[in-house]
Amino acid sequence: MVLKLYAGTRAAGGGGLVALVLAEKQIPFELVVTDLSARQHKTPEFLAMHPFGQIPVIDDDGFILYESRAICRYLADKYADQGPPLYPRGPKERALVEQAASVESANFFSPVMQIFRELILKPARGLEKDQSVVDAGVTDLSAKLDVYEVILSKTKYLAGDEFTLADLFHLMAAPRLAEGGVDIMTASTRPNVARWWNDVITRPAWVKLRAEGIKEIN
Amino acid sequence: MVLKLYGTPYAFGATAVVAMVLLEKHIPFEFVLVDLKTGAHKTREFRERHPFGNVPCIEDDGFIVYESRAIARYLADKYADQDHGPRLIPVPTKVQERAVFEQGASVENVNFFPSVLKVIQEKFEKPLHGETTDEVALAGYIAELSKVLSVYDDILSKQRFMGGDEFSLVDIFHVGTGPGLALGGIDVMISTGPNVARWWNDVISRPSWVKLQAEGIKSSV
Repeated sequence: MVLKLYAGTRAAGGGGLVALVLAEKQIPFELVVTDLSARQHKTPEFLAMHPFGQIPVIDDDGFILYESRAICRYLADKYADQGPPLYPRGPKERALVEQAASVESANFFSPVMQIFRELILKPARGLEKDQSVVDAGVTDLSAKLDVYEVILSKTKYLAGDEFTLADLFHLMAAPRLAEGGVDIMTASTRPNVARWWNDVITRPAWVKLRAEGIKEIN
Repeated sequence: MVLKLYGTPYAFGATAVVAMVLLEKHIPFEFVLVDLKTGAHKTREFRERHPFGNVPCIEDDGFIVYESRAIARYLADKYADQDHGPRLIPVPTKVQERAVFEQGASVENVNFFPSVLKVIQEKFEKPLHGETTDEVALAGYIAELSKVLSVYDDILSKQRFMGGDEFSLVDIFHVGTGPGLALGGIDVMISTGPNVARWWNDVISRPSWVKLQAEGIKSSV
């Protein structure tokens, strides 16, 4: 049975990451649109799949998996021989991917979300942004990106010279910062970060996903 | 050359997570104390190992890894053979088992850790900096953590440990933060539900953890 992806239709959040891996690896899948505003993620049937009641979830011929970063690792492992090598198997090579992925979730994601909440989520709900929270987020993120600048002066991507899941995970929310007028990812003051970010966001699979939304692969 | 572990010496925090893995896997190591109070983790020399200036990090015959959860996976992947204690992580070719493991790891990272950190910061870290704990805020954070642990109780009614049916790194990831709660009279790790209590008692009664609590982190060679 073809893999089912329970997610929204847009290339955003965790669903966007999974859709990107599916696209990069050309893995056939069926999209089961899960409408958060209709609370479809909190029904008893859905909670039986994902006890925290979140999207995305996959059902791979009866094998159910949640947490986008786990799903991405699973797909990259299962389809290791297809498409770009997103997740190397050797202990040292994998350690470098896991190190960079841990930095993303521990250091990068939190200030990005802080800025994203104020500049994008709150206005969408008719709420006023708190500029001091934005400024604090930008200061925090800047300090982290100063370190990324050093790392990316030595390698082309975060875990070495190949694009891996570690780079991909940064697409969870950061692409939308520019929409809110925060150009921190492409600032000329950090040329290596800018080079890396422009490389990542111009990957054809990502460009297509952003333009068209999540589309089934047959 | 013997593996070097750089970090703090207590049975608390991210260094303790790595120390427990080293003990479980019988990996010999030299412990190098990094005194955070003197800013030893922020020197230029230290940042050459860990560019973010944090602890822990390891140096394995010249190969450097930082981020405790990455170090743990590396050690378990590298020392996967029979002579090195419990597996602690499924091999990458066992894709479904490894996926269930990663699902549990993500749950710890995204659901448990941010929640328990808020409790720890409010209850323990604020007083260390001369501030008073806001009891109302603390009660709110404890309630949030309890909600997460209620879901844990559901998950643990279907599988024995948080990464699957075998004890694994996913369980170990919780020792950096979970055990400290009881010291502050916060008993959510055993009071939220019977399955969580069963699981948590399993984790903290592992001989490796008992040893760390009794002796702190010390070189094994």
